[in-house]
Amino acid sequence: MKNELSRRGLLSSAAAAALAAALPAQSFAAAPPAGKQAAGFYRYKVGDIEVTVVTDGANRLPITDAFVVNVKKEEVNAALVAAFMEPGVFVGPYNPIVLNTGGKLALVDTGTSEAGYIASKGATGQLMTNLAAAGIEAGAIDTVIISHYHGDHINGLLKADKSLAFPNAEILVPANEHQFYMDDGNMSRATKGRVEDVFKNVRRVISGEVLKRLRTYEWDKDVIPGVLAVGTPGHTPGHTSHVVSSGSSKVYVQADVTHAPFLFARNPGWHAYYDQDPVMAEATRRKVYDMLSAEKMLVQGFHYPFPSVAHVEKTATGYREIPMPWSPVI
Amino acid sequence: MAKLTRRDLLVGAGASLAVGSKALAGVPVAGKQVPSFYRSKLGDFELTVVSDGARPIPLPPRFVLNVPNEEVLKAAEAAYMPKGTVFAPFNPMVVNTGSKLVLIDTGYGPIAPTVGLLPQSLAAAGIDPKSIDIVLISHLHGDHINGIKKPDGSLAFPNAEIKVPAEDWAFWMSDENMAKAPEGFFKASFGFNRKVFGDIKTRVTVYQWGSEVAPGITAVETAGHTPGHTSFVIASGASKLFFQADVTNVPDLFLRNPEWQVMFDSEPEKAVATRKRVYDMVSAEKMFVSGYHFPFPGLGWVEKVGTGYRLIPAAWNPVL
Repeated sequence: MKNELSRRGLLSSAAAAALAAALPAQSFAAAPPAGKQAAGFYRYKVGDIEVTVVTDGANRLPITDAFVVNVKKEEVNAALVAAFMEPGVFVGPYNPIVLNTGGKLALVDTGTSEAGYIASKGATGQLMTNLAAAGIEAGAIDTVIISHYHGDHINGLLKADKSLAFPNAEILVPANEHQFYMDDGNMSRATKGRVEDVFKNVRRVISGEVLKRLRTYEWDKDVIPGVLAVGTPGHTPGHTSHVVSSGSSKVYVQADVTHAPFLFARNPGWHAYYDQDPVMAEATRRKVYDMLSAEKMLVQGFHYPFPSVAHVEKTATGYREIPMPWSPVI
Repeated sequence: MAKLTRRDLLVGAGASLAVGSKALAGVPVAGKQVPSFYRSKLGDFELTVVSDGARPIPLPPRFVLNVPNEEVLKAAEAAYMPKGTVFAPFNPMVVNTGSKLVLIDTGYGPIAPTVGLLPQSLAAAGIDPKSIDIVLISHLHGDHINGIKKPDGSLAFPNAEIKVPAEDWAFWMSDENMAKAPEGFFKASFGFNRKVFGDIKTRVTVYQWGSEVAPGITAVETAGHTPGHTSFVIASGASKLFFQADVTNVPDLFLRNPEWQVMFDSEPEKAVATRKRVYDMVSAEKMFVSGYHFPFPGLGWVEKVGTGYRLIPAAWNPVL
């Protein structure tokens, strides 16, 4: 545009043309823009365990009064502006992790799926491409641990052709979550709309080959060595967090105890529409975040901005996440 | 506890059969970080932050001139840095303006195992060093200039014009100033300048504050850290980024405590005044800022809080 004009101006005069010939070609056009983001994975150690955060991308959702059920959209937009984010739109990231415990290669939650990747034109459903970028073969994952049965956590179990995304993995799910969503009585009583849709999606994904490889796990027990299941219900009835520990190091994998922290850790009393029992979810959130802040425990949040690992501090009105500084080496 | 469970499993033949060999052998850990680069659009420009690495700064007895080390380390620990360390990242940036490919600052070179990573970050980002048209230097400290040369002494960006701030060039290339410089960091900095620029002086262009040093990139005076320390306003369309270089070093220490005079500042009091002036401006105008020593990718906004300022890092955007 402007550059082109000045270039054209230059080229029209013979003297300038001679000058142009003397200059290397590079002066006229830079290398083309890459137009592509860096691969979204990031590694850190928890004792001997290697954690690889593998982003599934981020979703853009318009802010309406229905987004936070007990707060008007104006207040949500004001919080977004205070967080230097675009008002009117909620950018919600999805961040599954891979744990290499030495004995197991475990994926915790699976993102929005390959079908989601196609439907969103690559904005979400990036797990498979970012796993590949991280050098992690889907076939090498021997365990998939599910925190709860919402679509953005289970849909990635299946590829677009409905085959298993992790064909060699045992699929470990919270027992009470499984019971709740597989119960036909609960399904028949589900409110039309979103809650019923969650049931329908669970029945679609948790079936066939997935069901054959599925095993339920209990709260307060190790799911695999080094990964303890902790009940954090409210968001869903069987919503589970995981404490990953090795030696004296620990990280609290909080799944959806809060959704994006720039809204829901800062305002723990806000009830996002996807909290099934918002009062219980809030109580759980406050309990977990009081513990995290008191113990200065590292937290990994599925909906925290990538790489989604942080500490949490208590503030006058809620909690503030302090992202771990990126380490360019491991 | 966990080990016992597995051993229990292994002694029972039936159980071990059910587990399968994959679960027992495991996959070797990768042991390697992602190549650290990150892209962001700024109007029509494409920015690529290309990490040169990070390291704990070796702390002398007085790291901050007007504050004891214990207090500094307390602040570092409160910011969750590894105990007893001040952890500093290095974030050069490539700006593709459409007509020029500009590299701003060049990293430390391989002076320690965890720095000097710029060449590999560039390679991972698919940026050929030969395609860099302009190397723009904010100030003449080793961690910004050493990467101009490869370890063998040849030019790392052979086709680039190298642009340096006039005041810094005059200051750091003066033998008289070098003779007066105290031992340690300052003497070493003069040495780095001679090593980097000694035999390539003719390739260097000096620039003035207030001038457009590359298309859409204006040099802004932010002196104090060094006599010629320069920030850059990068602008395309309605979008702007304030590349603050070293107006503050690590934000958890020096944004929170803008009065703190880090040992690297040539003129500590002026550096403090500059820092406050710049941060009052960028916080009032809610300007997008990048920091060379901010945690990678070092992009964000700054808000005033208490007696200092706080960095609000930009959320990672998984698509461009």
